[in-house]
Amino acid sequence: MSVAAPSDRCYHCGDALTTPAPPLTLDGEIRSFCCSGCAAAADWIRDAQLGDYYRLRSQQGGRVDLSASDLSAWDRDEVQQGHARDVPGGREITVVTDGMRCAACAWLIDRALRQEPGILEVSANAITGRIRLLWDPALTPLSRPLQRLAALGYRPGLARGEALERARSAERRRWLLRLGLAGLASLQAMMFAEALYLDVRGQMPLPTRDFLRWITFLIATPVVFYAGWPFLEGTWREWRGRRLGMDTLVASGMLLAWGGSVIETLRGGPQVWYDAAVMFVFLLLLARLFEQRARAVASAQVDLLAQACPALATRERPDGSSETVPLALLAVGDIARVAAGDALPADGHLLDAPASFSEALLTGESRPVTRQPGTPVYAGTLCIDQPVRLRVSGIGPATRLSTLTRLVEQAQAHRPRLARLADQVASRFVLALLFTAVLVYARWHFTAPERAFEVLLSVVVISCPCALSLSVPAALAAAHGHLARIGVLATRPDALESLAHASDLVFDKTGTLSTGQMEIASISTRVGSSREEALSLATALERDSRHPIASAFANQPATRTATGVQEHPGQGIAGDIDGRCLRLGTAPFAAGRRDDGALWLGDGHQPLARFQLRETARNDSRLVLTELAASGLQLHLYSGDAEATVAAFASRFGLADAAGRLSPEDKLDRVRALQAQGRIVAMVGDGLNDAPVLAGADVSFVMADGAPLAQQAADFVLTQASLQRVPDAVALARRTQRVIQQNLAWAVGYNLLALPLAATGHVTPWIAALAMVVSSLTVTLNALRLTRAGTP
Amino acid sequence: MIILLLLIPLSLMLLVAAIWAFAWAVRSGQFDDLDTPPLDILADDPHESRIAPRHEP
Repeated sequence: MSVAAPSDRCYHCGDALTTPAPPLTLDGEIRSFCCSGCAAAADWIRDAQLGDYYRLRSQQGGRVDLSASDLSAWDRDEVQQGHARDVPGGREITVVTDGMRCAACAWLIDRALRQEPGILEVSANAITGRIRLLWDPALTPLSRPLQRLAALGYRPGLARGEALERARSAERRRWLLRLGLAGLASLQAMMFAEALYLDVRGQMPLPTRDFLRWITFLIATPVVFYAGWPFLEGTWREWRGRRLGMDTLVASGMLLAWGGSVIETLRGGPQVWYDAAVMFVFLLLLARLFEQRARAVASAQVDLLAQACPALATRERPDGSSETVPLALLAVGDIARVAAGDALPADGHLLDAPASFSEALLTGESRPVTRQPGTPVYAGTLCIDQPVRLRVSGIGPATRLSTLTRLVEQAQAHRPRLARLADQVASRFVLALLFTAVLVYARWHFTAPERAFEVLLSVVVISCPCALSLSVPAALAAAHGHLARIGVLATRPDALESLAHASDLVFDKTGTLSTGQMEIASISTRVGSSREEALSLATALERDSRHPIASAFANQPATRTATGVQEHPGQGIAGDIDGRCLRLGTAPFAAGRRDDGALWLGDGHQPLARFQLRETARNDSRLVLTELAASGLQLHLYSGDAEATVAAFASRFGLADAAGRLSPEDKLDRVRALQAQGRIVAMVGDGLNDAPVLAGADVSFVMADGAPLAQQAADFVLTQASLQRVPDAVALARRTQRVIQQNLAWAVGYNLLALPLAATGHVTPWIAALAMVVSSLTVTLNALRLTRAGTP
Repeated sequence: MIILLLLIPLSLMLLVAAIWAFAWAVRSGQFDDLDTPPLDILADDPHESRIAPRHEP
């Protein structure tokens, strides 16, 4: 169970030991740590006598980052409002953390927080990443226990609102109650039914028989109307939408078996089916519960990825000093300060000096852009290399960011609804059943009126669509379980079916096909200087830069050092090497030439070398693309990046349809155009700028490290940054679809076989019971094939 | 078969008791987390087991 880190790795988080902290003695052995954060966490765990954590865990802990741990904002009322609530004795809040890897983390958090003063109750759940915290505000501010949490490597975030959390758990409990009631009651109903079935020769006195029937009625009725309520409610919804679907089918099967039994009990007929009705409800609830649980875990984990920190902004007071205020208090006309590396809190106009921003979130362009003072800058863009001040011009719903969010909602509402196979079959089945019933009744009414009602009942009961209704949920439950195991979180119920039918796959380049890192494609040098020389000079200049371009030189050996290095936002970097003043950047800045998009090394007038950079492709991109193309999908590349970059990528991977410099709206238009041609479009993306098109495509994937809004818009979230899961998921979706088809065919075939027998009055009770069990078991076992590992 | 008049109400009472117990368990959150509690039995009780190596060098 326990995971021992190799000695060259951090004992706490398993990272490589680049700048190790002093080692500690734990349990009599010397352990090394990657940083002081991890060492402090391990030290505290030892002192709190919670060292069992290291033996219980099945995954390494998260790296403890001490730098971003100012949690005082959590104590503000504005932040707690809507997330915490007053309970007897204190306040309650649910926080989420993405650091919980296994159940041992939950165990540790439980024990650790309980030792904090003023904490009344803690419960941590490793599966959903949620920690419920009950604290006494008179004894401790909230930030203190949270500080402890952060010091152990679990960065706290706000859950999506306290009311939503409670609704979620109440819903789950209601389902469990329904399932428990149906299970316990159906056991009991079976007992009484058994007594009735065993009376094969009709020797039971009639009063005893009727007594048993009324008792079974007493047990079955709450099951049908309380446990079966979701199906009745669903039927009502379908009828209001003027369609016949799966819920109608389930509810009609359930009500027919129950209603038929009531009628037979009242008139003293030969057979009742209470046991069939309750078993049916129980099995269906069980299948739905499994499917919902798989999806609930998936969406809880997606929420984790989207966890928000309390949103704060730094506002400048009229006297020039600054204060931290909640985002909601920022007003148009205020001056906001933003530190380097932070996101802008609002739309506004840049003040003071030019600065460069990464607008990747909005436009998808991964390279930073330079903005001049007075030009508009947008909320959500990252301030890259220097602190800036801006005059706020748009806040909240008026920002460009919010426009994107609204676009996502609109796209979701206009998503084309694909006809669901199961719903189609279900509606035809209901119609056919009604038609047959009327026909059979009429036929018997003329020949043998005394048996007409009895035969009618046996027709509707034997065609009770147990197998048909079970075939889809059973397959989906199995498939969702398999998906979760291979690292694909599915959040919407009908996404698998859409994926099975997809004919086109659209990629967004940034972050999906590429890693976001840069690499050097080619180097050309002036006659007389070597490539190694140029590379070594450039590496020295870029060594400590946080600019994305620096990643291209990150794995070059450092042979020289540069002094007095200075970044010129939007232009490049300058510094002294061996007494020479050198510049690396755009052509006008470094070499006194016209800008050509490449990176130049020079002294400001004369060029030394020219570097052509490109984004590094993900390792598995080519393999995955070949596999997807082989499975019959048309591949497209719609990106917000520059045309040239996109074209280079498209030719590297052999993609026929590629377009660059597309705004979110353009991408959505292109996807809509494909859909108008009758294509079913799947989309893989990760950026916020992809969110509208992810929501508008028929089915969509997003990477786990993508933007939160994109993840909420997508149907599938890939938990590992590996594209390989996409073809796997496509294959599984197709296989699920095949299993559903087989199940439906079997269920319909069974009914075609059984109906004539029932209609001609040849069905004895034991045949009916056996046929029902066998057909339901068959579809369930067939569905279970989907859980098998191996070929997905 | 008079015994049925005793046994059947008895079984119904048991059923009601079982459903009540299950409802109580669900409502009091016994089923909310099925993953963490199994670990508790694996951990040593800190009060009587090992003395923490706090004073070691």
